[in-house]
Amino acid sequence: MAEYWEIKVEDIFNSMQERFRPEGAKDVDAIFGYDIQGEGKWKLTVKNNDMKIEKSDDLSGCVATMSADGETFVGVNTGKVDATNAFMSGKVKVDGDMGAFGKTGKLFRKFVIPKKEMSTKDYLADMFGTVIKRFKPSEAEGLDASFAFDLGGPDGGKWTVIIKEKKCTVTTTIEGKPTVTLEFNEAKDYVDFILGKIDAQSILAAGKAAAKGDINMMASKWPVLFEKYKDPMAGNIPEQELLVLKKTISVNQKFSTGPIMGKFLKGLKDKKIYANKCPKCGRLQLPPREVCAECRVRAKDFVEVGPKGEVRYMDLVYYAMPDPLTGVARETPYGALNVLLDGCKGNETLPHFIRKDQIEKIQLGWNEKKGTRVRPVWEENRIGDIWDIKYFEIDE
Amino acid sequence: MAHKKKNRNVGIIGVGQTKHSSHREDVNQPEMIHEAISLALKDAKLTMKDIDCVIHGNMELFEMVHQPDLWHTLGTGAFGKDSIRITTGGTVGATLACAADNLVSSGMYDIVLAIGFEKLQEGNTTGGITNMADPLWFRKIQAGALTGSSAYDVEREFGLERANRASMIYRIIMDKHAGLNPNAHRAFGLDFNQIDDLIKISPKLVGELKLIEMCSQSDGACCVIFACEKRAKDISKNPVWIRDHITAHKEETFNIFGYNREFPVVKTHKFAAEHLFKRNEIKDPLGYFDVFEMYDPASWWAIDWLRDFFGLKGDEHLKLVENKEIMIGGKMPINPSGGVIGSNPIGATALVRVAEAALQIRGNAGPHQIPTPVKHALASGFGGTMWTVLMMLEKELNW
Repeated sequence: MAEYWEIKVEDIFNSMQERFRPEGAKDVDAIFGYDIQGEGKWKLTVKNNDMKIEKSDDLSGCVATMSADGETFVGVNTGKVDATNAFMSGKVKVDGDMGAFGKTGKLFRKFVIPKKEMSTKDYLADMFGTVIKRFKPSEAEGLDASFAFDLGGPDGGKWTVIIKEKKCTVTTTIEGKPTVTLEFNEAKDYVDFILGKIDAQSILAAGKAAAKGDINMMASKWPVLFEKYKDPMAGNIPEQELLVLKKTISVNQKFSTGPIMGKFLKGLKDKKIYANKCPKCGRLQLPPREVCAECRVRAKDFVEVGPKGEVRYMDLVYYAMPDPLTGVARETPYGALNVLLDGCKGNETLPHFIRKDQIEKIQLGWNEKKGTRVRPVWEENRIGDIWDIKYFEIDE
Repeated sequence: MAHKKKNRNVGIIGVGQTKHSSHREDVNQPEMIHEAISLALKDAKLTMKDIDCVIHGNMELFEMVHQPDLWHTLGTGAFGKDSIRITTGGTVGATLACAADNLVSSGMYDIVLAIGFEKLQEGNTTGGITNMADPLWFRKIQAGALTGSSAYDVEREFGLERANRASMIYRIIMDKHAGLNPNAHRAFGLDFNQIDDLIKISPKLVGELKLIEMCSQSDGACCVIFACEKRAKDISKNPVWIRDHITAHKEETFNIFGYNREFPVVKTHKFAAEHLFKRNEIKDPLGYFDVFEMYDPASWWAIDWLRDFFGLKGDEHLKLVENKEIMIGGKMPINPSGGVIGSNPIGATALVRVAEAALQIRGNAGPHQIPTPVKHALASGFGGTMWTVLMMLEKELNW
């Protein structure tokens, strides 16, 4: 079994029971499948606020099956890989009911990577392994120098960092005659010194370390040439917890309609649809607007149009759009129409919605081609609102 | 807008951008803004003492903070300076650049700093956009900025298969560009062999518009510093000159879906481009410009709009995309930065177009720099439903 960030795919599944959140499983009654490339298949059953995970080649009966490679799966579960990106780029695929699969996100606490101690050997490998990455060539103009490290003890070793022609190389031996050599009796002291746990003076004073050659080069040039070493373990504990404040805005609003828009809305109450006409260019505006913005003249003449008409365009919306007024997501898919009501021409279309079960039957019109004929379905109790028309339906 | 009535020339002398991301919980709004401001000042080798006026802009309803420029004074450094707030929707960043150009060329200020920002994770973007609609009726019907109409247009004219492929090629090119831009929010590492797969698996949002084809919702800020010709030449070795800019908008927001050739719809991109190029005597914009940073909210709109901006005929615009002429190294590189699909902190987005176009002219955009010299650049902003800002930038003061 391959490991990614030292975690196996199985670790994620085996810890599911422990990470399960019954409060996130309310109203979930489904079987989900996981098909992890080269690793196997798992089946997750969620029912009655409880769960069961089993390795199984039979994924029949699953409402949705997620497939991914092992690295992506572990990455997404541990936060090493951005889940949205993985999904968008096709590294994670979901077959079946995507909406249902979305609920698995709330079923489990996050998988936390077990914190592992870094040994002196790990630190030394990391410190010299990142030297080239931390090197700043712009600071090395005209510099030809080598820094040798002779670190003793069971975990110790020898390294030389060579700077020449603005390039940095590292060897695991001591090469030629270094510009400066740093010797530590115990490699651990060097690690602690770099991590800032002990200071240089006290080690030197205690005779645990010595510097030979151009000491100034080590003391003043090294810190300029290289970015400071960052302890990879330190990142796990933020210095300060950063808070994110959550707010929900809920405000009552009221908007005056004015006489022009008011006439349109009042018309809807009486099952009539009014457009108004520009006295200059003659075009209709639907809903009526106070002026013809193109001619910059007031438009006060009303014309009753429709109520039947022809579909010219429909947006088939799959995205669960939250209603900005209520925050409630619209039920999808829905069809957002542009209807050319009888009496209107050109682009004088009215936007509205189509009856949900008729989406598939709608033909869009263009040029000489006629679109599907539709008629409004009125609300029983009308209040002077665009939703006094519940939706349009096919006029059969 | 009066053309050729500028009192004096205006140059861009400093550019600063944050890394665009969906995870900026580590900073608050003024702190994030300050990052871009500091980078722009550093780029121009100026301090706040040199700035005469600060123009601040973002969308009105996205984070639901009224007069955010007050709070943001902590990050903008605008205390004690002339300060103007601008909010024009998706175009706001480009409008900031236009306003800065106007303020400096008028003689009112010598050096103006423009800052555009957005922290989209702190509000509800789609809800915010929907709230722009007329509250008396259309707010209840609109679905944010999502529409499949561009896809429908291209599909109807060129067939579903060709249209889908062209859109996805454009999308993948933007991803490749974003992969080169260290500030880009999203770079998935997509490749052309994934076209069929992506068309199949990417969830549909509206009509043929798929999730992967839509722009991101990013946190980020962009700052650009503008100076009059004299100061620009004193301060900067390579100022980028603003030649001209145009804004076009159309009141008739929603009555555009009649699909009747007898009643053509005025398209503001086409309108703006035609007027701008005509008054600057540019007959062949595709040949003239070396790069175009286009406000591309989705790949469908982008491929459709190429035709409008460059006045192309037939399927010339699709061929540009299909032959990958819009890639870095191609005939007309579009969005070497990865564009809006790559990063979209909306109030900064259109200013990023101007900033990136300027960097391309300077020649130090970074890993996404076009290899051939860039002398003439175009940047666009888009917003509302039919609102266009176009700006022309030049390397030399010789037009």
